[in-house]
Amino acid sequence: MQDAAVLKGTKDGYEIILDENANLKDIFSSLRKLLDNLKTQTASTNPQTIAFDIYTGMRLWPADDRSELEKIFSDYSYFSVHKITSDVITKEESNRIIEQSSVHIVDKVIRNGQEEHIQGDVLFLGTVHEGGKLFVGGNIFVLGNVEGIIQAGAPDLEDKMIIGDVHNAQQVRIGEQFEILADSKHEMNSGTVIYVNDLHVLDYGKVEDLKQINPKFYNQIGGVING
Amino acid sequence: MGKAYVITSGKGGVGKTTSSANIGTALAMLGKKVCLLDLDIGLRNLDVVLGLDNRIMYDIVDVAAGRAKLSQALVKDKRFDDLLYLLPAAQNTDKTALNEDQVREIVDELKPDFDFILIDCPAGIEQGFMNAIAGADSAIIVTTPEISAVRDADRVVGLLEQHPLQEQPHLIINRIRQHMMKDGSVMDVDEITHHLGVELLGIVFDDDAVITTSNNGEPVVLQAENPAGQGYRDIARRLVGESVPLMEIKDEQQPSFWQKVTHWFRKG
Repeated sequence: MQDAAVLKGTKDGYEIILDENANLKDIFSSLRKLLDNLKTQTASTNPQTIAFDIYTGMRLWPADDRSELEKIFSDYSYFSVHKITSDVITKEESNRIIEQSSVHIVDKVIRNGQEEHIQGDVLFLGTVHEGGKLFVGGNIFVLGNVEGIIQAGAPDLEDKMIIGDVHNAQQVRIGEQFEILADSKHEMNSGTVIYVNDLHVLDYGKVEDLKQINPKFYNQIGGVING
Repeated sequence: MGKAYVITSGKGGVGKTTSSANIGTALAMLGKKVCLLDLDIGLRNLDVVLGLDNRIMYDIVDVAAGRAKLSQALVKDKRFDDLLYLLPAAQNTDKTALNEDQVREIVDELKPDFDFILIDCPAGIEQGFMNAIAGADSAIIVTTPEISAVRDADRVVGLLEQHPLQEQPHLIINRIRQHMMKDGSVMDVDEITHHLGVELLGIVFDDDAVITTSNNGEPVVLQAENPAGQGYRDIARRLVGESVPLMEIKDEQQPSFWQKVTHWFRKG
């Protein structure tokens, strides 16, 4: 029978490939055998900690099984798990990635006392009334009217931006930085970019300068893996 | 089968109770059978505004608790034959004495016998508010041209979107001081209506007579010439399906003493 756990050396270190078709019992026993072997082999040489990458192929490893796996490694003082990778993700995870990587078009009225929480980028066409709050995980592109509070990069991402005219807003926030607009005098138009500068302070720029302001945003490559 | 409207505002003191009393009276004057429900439990006023406070035997909490029958608790307004009734609020208990199901049950029991059921909502957005909107088919939101009142109205519109009623809400802008609106020192009718995104049901001008009539227990709609009464009568006519144009906002500011003096000198 083929081993359910196979060791492979890569340029980045050691990888253990777990057979996606084998049952868990075989995988665990095979893994123990493998680690026992390694232990006796490395014991003669100078012992050093080895962190393995685990690759599970087309099998999804739920949290319970992962902790079982990590428990096996904890029995060997010199071995540890670096990361577990696989070719598959849960629907939940994929939805989260889609949610985070897509631009959501939001066309609603956020009234006094209401809060809207959205992951990913937002193209905002609606209205935020005074006292309303729009919290967005990604960037916000504003075409609508904002008279309340608007936050990009919620709760703490400072590389996000607000693009558009929000001069009527009560507050703008990016990550943990905020500004009360009544206290600041900034000319704004539809080409205004609000971002957090290198000094961790909210700053105002123009869309034309976006390449300098946030090169990463400019180079964004789509797709789930690269995004 | 009647229709139930909740009269609400969020903010206190914008004229919910006055509006309830006046719209109810105006509807009765149009020959409709109306029941007013006072849900401002603990601080009942609607009975006082209508001049019915001396006729109360039982209240809405008695009905909900089964201590009285609904028909026993209803107070009839003798001025309008058999058209205007009041179900008074309780005084010696608080807003948690009722729940949403009980209010819904009472309103459903009233509906077959009345054309209109007007629910006077307490200020605030707590349990009392939830009770008041539970039984309603539609809401009438009362605001004044003050920013704070409009903000609270905005909050209430938001809450009504979360607990949608059968029909879209309506808006009344109350206590309009014509000269202030005319000279732009307060938000104007279009601005408020557009901001809230709610269909305008009517406007009511501020008038001293609203206070004096309410003190006497005779709603201002009973005065034929009064502009505030006119506003409420127009609202009632719109509620029964008539189309009535909005009252025009005129600059009715009285000339000040010095203006009078300079005018007198110029004339001389």
